[in-house]
Amino acid sequence: MHGEGEDLPADPTTAVEAASQAAAAPSDDYLRLQRRLLLATLIVSAIAVLITALAFNLHIAGSLLVGALGGLLYLRLLARSVGKLGNGAKKVGKTQLLVPVVLVLASARLPQLELLPALLGFLLYKPALILQVLLDS
Amino acid sequence: MDSITSAASVIAAGLAVGLGAIGPGIGQGTAAGSAVEGIARQPEADGKIRGTLLLSLAFMEALTIYGLVVALVLLFANPFAG
Repeated sequence: MHGEGEDLPADPTTAVEAASQAAAAPSDDYLRLQRRLLLATLIVSAIAVLITALAFNLHIAGSLLVGALGGLLYLRLLARSVGKLGNGAKKVGKTQLLVPVVLVLASARLPQLELLPALLGFLLYKPALILQVLLDS
Repeated sequence: MDSITSAASVIAAGLAVGLGAIGPGIGQGTAAGSAVEGIARQPEADGKIRGTLLLSLAFMEALTIYGLVVALVLLFANPFAG
């Protein structure tokens, strides 16, 4: 039977410093997951843009590409705000919500951007997330 | 666009964002609070907890984005405008 505190380090201040250092930097697991999510989103977006360019036209494919880039930016901002949670930030940031707002406003104002392809492109991060969850489970 | 369509669109946009944000807001608050509590209890599981939080927040926030998109479309690209 183990005695109480047997596994504790000899110097408690060292343990506290190590814990605070571990808390300050996002762990390797999290960084790896972020990278995998962004890569999966990039691959899904590239495939979708290619299929759209072949099946429809370059104008719609361009709108889809802009939306997909917006989705990537959104995911990056969300990951950053989750990374900051607990390390100074007390709540999840809302700056990432500006991305769909800007996307919809831009597609309403600019004739080069189509609304529906841009929105569908933005939502392409979701299949990548679902793929990631299925691969993890 | 006639005045009734304008008024209905503005009210619908407000309802879409307001009502659409209630559920995800509660869910996000609960999830983030539990995640921070979990990290405080088990700092060694930080990466896994943050990863799970990121995935669940991305799914939850999509619901807010749907409401936001409907509201913005009603305000700036209204399909019912004559």
